[in-house]
Amino acid sequence: MYSQLFGSYLLRKGAVTPEQLTDAITKVSTSRIKLGTLAIHAGIMAASEVDEVCFLQTREDKRFGEIAIERGYLTDDQVRDLLNSQSPDYLLLGQCLVDENIISNTDLQQHMLDYQTENELYDMDLNLENKDKIKRLIERFFMIAEVPVTEYSILYMELMFNNLVRFIGDDFTPLTPVPCTEYPVNYCVSQALHGKINCISRIDMTPDVAVQFASRYAKEDFSEFDEYVQASIEDFINLHNGLFIVNMSNQYSTELLLDPPSVDEGEVLTMPPASFLIPIVYPFGTIHLLTSLYGEME
Amino acid sequence: MDYSNKSVLICDDSILARKQLKDTILAECDNITIYEGKNGMEAVSVYKEHKPDLVLLDIVMPEMDGTTAVENIIAFDPSATIVIVSSVGTQLQLKKAITAGAKDFIQKPIDPAQVKTLIHTHLGGE
Repeated sequence: MYSQLFGSYLLRKGAVTPEQLTDAITKVSTSRIKLGTLAIHAGIMAASEVDEVCFLQTREDKRFGEIAIERGYLTDDQVRDLLNSQSPDYLLLGQCLVDENIISNTDLQQHMLDYQTENELYDMDLNLENKDKIKRLIERFFMIAEVPVTEYSILYMELMFNNLVRFIGDDFTPLTPVPCTEYPVNYCVSQALHGKINCISRIDMTPDVAVQFASRYAKEDFSEFDEYVQASIEDFINLHNGLFIVNMSNQYSTELLLDPPSVDEGEVLTMPPASFLIPIVYPFGTIHLLTSLYGEME
Repeated sequence: MDYSNKSVLICDDSILARKQLKDTILAECDNITIYEGKNGMEAVSVYKEHKPDLVLLDIVMPEMDGTTAVENIIAFDPSATIVIVSSVGTQLQLKKAITAGAKDFIQKPIDPAQVKTLIHTHLGGE
């Protein structure tokens, strides 16, 4: 989750625009992490040193590691260790932004440091995610847009992000949530939950994006926007809400009921109060989550 | 293994879920007969007509939900073998389904290995 929310952190800091971020995300899947980016992240080289080595690479036919060793910035062992190290996914996103001249290596170094400090990611092992830290991260994510955040909202979105990772793929970045009163839909699946919490959850995307989304979800190679693709979108939201209900029952002894999913196409929806929209950017396109969640925990 | 004398009813409002269950069963059971329904009403109707050996039933469906369909099928045939396959696997839902007469419960997402075990348990063969 740290990796997915790094993009929204950069948005919040004004370092990138949504368009620049979306463009960089589409490039991540075809990019490879560079030694210089790894060295900055590991704190072994300063951004200025990496820039210097990159500049020298344009004049000398040598690899980054060779020049860095010659200049005394890295040792043989450090180069080997860096090449064998596992890097967090957000590094690659940062590198794509540098490659596109949207931010500099110095900016990236500072943003990574600030992001790690803000989220107390001191151990650098981003695979070991801490539940409390994730909760704070998601709280902060909602505070960006001054969207009213409840404990349920955090639980709901944390599960949504986990389910996107689990069923669609971890190569997404959620953009800033925005309050939403009206929404022009493409292909939109809605599902309502009832009980102590009342929630209407929607997922909307264009037919082209739906084909890609469904292919990942169903592990099939869909090529057209057919009934299986449409059913995949319904299945995903139904599965997510079902798992949310199970969590609410197990953790809070709160029993909720779920309506069957319904579909809206090509109209403008008037949203209930306390609705917000979160665009989720994948390399294959953007999906739009619309959630109206209200209710009090007893 | 040959299942030519066996039949299964798959009832789910999702055509994708029905296809996934159907593909898994057909890969495991030669010549088995599969019936399909997309809501609780159809499940009851198909059951009454064909009396399949096993019923796989979703809970959240339009027209008539899965739990109500279990009650209706059991009222018609108390020996019916019904297994709930749903994403809503809460203790309360499980209790309701079992009380209504369901024999088992599978939590979605569908795990093919779990479906195969289910088939062998309720229809025999290994």
